[in-house]
Amino acid sequence: MRAIAIVIEVLILMGVTYCLFLAARLTILDLGFQSKYDRFVRWALGIVGAVISAFFIAHLTLFYPKLLP
Amino acid sequence: MDPTYLHFWAKQNAYILNVIYPISIGFCIILIGLAGLFVYTFRQQHYRLWRLGKEEDCSDRIPERLKTFLNVVFGHARFWREGYPGTMHFLIFWGTLFVFLGKGIRLFSPLTGLTVPPQGVYLIASCISEIGGVVILLGAVMAVVRRFVFKPSRLDSKPDDHLKYLWGFVILLTGYMVKGYRLVLAGGSLPPDSFSWAPISSILSQFTLILPSEPLNELLVWHRVLIHAIPAVAFFGYIVVSRSSLEHIYLSALNVFYRSLKPKGAVRPIPNFEEAETYGVTEIQEFTWKQLLDLEACTRCGRCQDSCPAHLSEKPLNPKKVIQDLRAHLLTKGGAIIPTNYQPASEPSPLPSPLVGKVISEDTLWSCTACLSCYEQCPVFISGFDKIIDMRRSSVLMESRFPVELKEVFRGLERRSNPWGGDKSQRADWVKELGVRTLAENPEVEWLYFPGCFKGFDDRNKKVAVAVVKILQRMEISFGVLGPEEGCCGDPARRMGNEYLYSMLVEKNLETFERYKIKKILTTCPHCYNTLKNEYPQFGGKFEVIHETEFLKTLLDQKKMTLHNGSSLTVTYHDSCYLGRYNQIYEPQRHILKAIPGVTLKEMERSRERSFCCGGGGGRMWMEEHQGKRINEMRIDQALALEPNVIATACPYCLTMLEDGLKARNKDDAVKVYDIAELVEKSMDDQPKTR
Repeated sequence: MRAIAIVIEVLILMGVTYCLFLAARLTILDLGFQSKYDRFVRWALGIVGAVISAFFIAHLTLFYPKLLP
Repeated sequence: MDPTYLHFWAKQNAYILNVIYPISIGFCIILIGLAGLFVYTFRQQHYRLWRLGKEEDCSDRIPERLKTFLNVVFGHARFWREGYPGTMHFLIFWGTLFVFLGKGIRLFSPLTGLTVPPQGVYLIASCISEIGGVVILLGAVMAVVRRFVFKPSRLDSKPDDHLKYLWGFVILLTGYMVKGYRLVLAGGSLPPDSFSWAPISSILSQFTLILPSEPLNELLVWHRVLIHAIPAVAFFGYIVVSRSSLEHIYLSALNVFYRSLKPKGAVRPIPNFEEAETYGVTEIQEFTWKQLLDLEACTRCGRCQDSCPAHLSEKPLNPKKVIQDLRAHLLTKGGAIIPTNYQPASEPSPLPSPLVGKVISEDTLWSCTACLSCYEQCPVFISGFDKIIDMRRSSVLMESRFPVELKEVFRGLERRSNPWGGDKSQRADWVKELGVRTLAENPEVEWLYFPGCFKGFDDRNKKVAVAVVKILQRMEISFGVLGPEEGCCGDPARRMGNEYLYSMLVEKNLETFERYKIKKILTTCPHCYNTLKNEYPQFGGKFEVIHETEFLKTLLDQKKMTLHNGSSLTVTYHDSCYLGRYNQIYEPQRHILKAIPGVTLKEMERSRERSFCCGGGGGRMWMEEHQGKRINEMRIDQALALEPNVIATACPYCLTMLEDGLKARNKDDAVKVYDIAELVEKSMDDQPKTR
């Protein structure tokens, strides 16, 4: 049950992160950032996103409430 | 009162006040920041772009504008024409309003001391936002299924399209989780009515795990709040700053408010035509500010392309793409030509870039049949038609570039006042044998019958004019014709972009009307009807204009005319764009047909506002159809599916195009195309005079 709850929480957090990062990417492109740098932006945000996701997994595994008896 | 109830709400209150006070204050600060950001980006990204355009006064008739605004934005008046997307948008729109209403009350009521739980207002507000969330989710599920499972061809998906659904879902889910978590922390057992006030959150609270100590749990509440609040605030920021399609929330609403209240079918005249140095729209900044707002207000819903006869017949024109291509060009080029502190507005554009040929291809430009279907179907009143006419004007008047077939048409209109170049003196040959007098012979008549060029020079359409004249004579209506003095109304010239020729024809006709002091005009051609009624007033024309179908209906209503004869006929009526969408005349035709004995009227799937053009409007009557299917044949197929004996219409263009379509399908022996006036005249053949 706890493992399932952690997976759900991680999915939600990754969803939030994905939305924020994709929005950031689309916004900077909209604001005139040249599209030739899009590949770089994707990679940068992808790497940061992966690090954040790893942090979420570690954090939740350590601190998520245990099931009460 | 039940002690469990009081205990629960006391704990809830403590949690709410602990959490909500800082959140409310923080939210107020963020709200002010977002409002400031909105004003700034609105000015930078939108207002300054629209200011590039020419003047257009859209500030008249405010009450009428407000009424339309409320009707369309809140009532979704133009969305319901398509049930599924209409329902989908309605659910998302009203669900969002409910969420905001509930959330607003709950966020600010503790600050203002208006209400705290368990007082009714707070609980109702909580329930409203919970229900709002469910309503949004229902609408969003419909939208996602439609966009990503059914995948209608009119929807093109960009990264922003899946982002907004996922983001909305995440915000709603985390919102429910915050409340669910609060509920489980506030009381061991929920009071019986808690489910009613927070139906979704209380279900979620059943599955929520909590930490063993109070401080850790409070920390966890804050985690939850931030995981909800950060994406929620960022979502607003995204709407404000980015070029997301979510901009439509305010841009489309503005477009509805500022829509043109002039007659739909009236093309805008070129201001100061005699003194103008340029005509039409060559570059993007030559559109009016409202036309530029149109471009930005488009959400790519694609209703226009699904109803466009040119697109459906595989021509290069796609009205959605025209708007989107112009929008992309506006955003790219507009930014470069906005005057800055360093570049005065009077300096010429740094990037001269003509629209026709570069942004919009010539084939696209000349594929439009001016049927107005795109405008009629657009939920927020965006018109592709007016922009196409403006670009045609530039092409024709500034560069003399137009399809080669039009050369003879323009010459005929210029020299002989008709598109075929027929001899003016023959225009009214057909009336002589009917004993109709021209106004030159007898100016003392009540009505001017203005048959139009088709009736004057096309043998098939002459029969319609004869039928009309016979009806008028039988009804002893006082009327006359202009005969050789009649000139083309100018509709083809205007819609083909030749405003110079159009104004010449109008002035000539107006001069004639003035000479005979014309007050009432009866037309049998919807193109003449629309131009005389809606566009001649731009040149000072003041007279009553009526179409044959309105006229005949009045005679029927007043019992001055009764229809006796008729055999069993299955009739389907083809709506002319210029009567229907241009002038909202749908009922008289059907009323007349139903009054003819023996007629069974069957409606085509595409009828009334959704009627499919015959393909002859916008000057297309005189152009070849080199690409795609033939529009008139597509329409004939739609009609033949009903197995009619007769296809009725009330327009000479439609009559000609539909007869050609029947011939192409080898059905011209089995099925006939008639003008309504011909059917009426046959039905009253043996009828004695009524007066």
